[in-house]
Amino acid sequence: MNLDQLMDLPGALAAFSYTDKGDLNDHRVREGSEITPQVLDLLAHSCVANMAVATLEARGWESLTGQKGFEPLQGFSIVGLEWSAVVNGQCGVVMRNRDVNYEAAFNAIQACTAS
Amino acid sequence: MHIVKQLMAIPGVIAAGEFAYRGDRFSYEGALTAEFARMAAILCRSNTMSVNMQSEIFDSFAENCGCRPVQGWIVRGSQVAVCNIGNYFAFIENRPELLNDVMTIMRAKVGDVGGDLLVSLYARIGGDVKEALY
Repeated sequence: MNLDQLMDLPGALAAFSYTDKGDLNDHRVREGSEITPQVLDLLAHSCVANMAVATLEARGWESLTGQKGFEPLQGFSIVGLEWSAVVNGQCGVVMRNRDVNYEAAFNAIQACTAS
Repeated sequence: MHIVKQLMAIPGVIAAGEFAYRGDRFSYEGALTAEFARMAAILCRSNTMSVNMQSEIFDSFAENCGCRPVQGWIVRGSQVAVCNIGNYFAFIENRPELLNDVMTIMRAKVGDVGGDLLVSLYARIGGDVKEALY
């Protein structure tokens, strides 16, 4: 799974890959979209931070409650007014909310991260 | 039907709830103790505030880029996912199509979240919002 294939997801506006620190490596943006490379760079940084925080919370939750099934995390999504971003590992995709398929996006992102 | 009850009627939804303001006012249904639900409400409120702050930064670089105001977030674990829209949260199993169904219901029932998150959260518990917050 690569960025061009992520752009085939329903409603995909942008796809991007990033480093462990959140710096943008590569990206695709749908023509006519309001998404800019600068927004993707910020988004990538926030996603690295959010995944780290979510891992902290998942680990703490499992430890405190004894409930299992959170770790290892399979991804994080921020749901905006018009679009949602789904990220994991070093890949992310931005999709229009009216067309979004979250499960397909999480599965595709898993495949992108594994490849 | 109330959102939480509607969510709990779906097979695979473990727990669902609602929180307000600081996260310490909450209600819930499902397989959580009251203490775990309190922790979940605080955790969800904290993450919601955090992603809202992030979206304001995005917006300052690219006004009206489509992110702000943030409607919610999802964390997907190995077997369980946590969905949050506005001041509602749901713990769900990772079953085929369940995540899409839950998100569709939550977005439709909660409606679009307004720009001022704190006012929106405080308004859920009543009282004079302006006097309390400003």
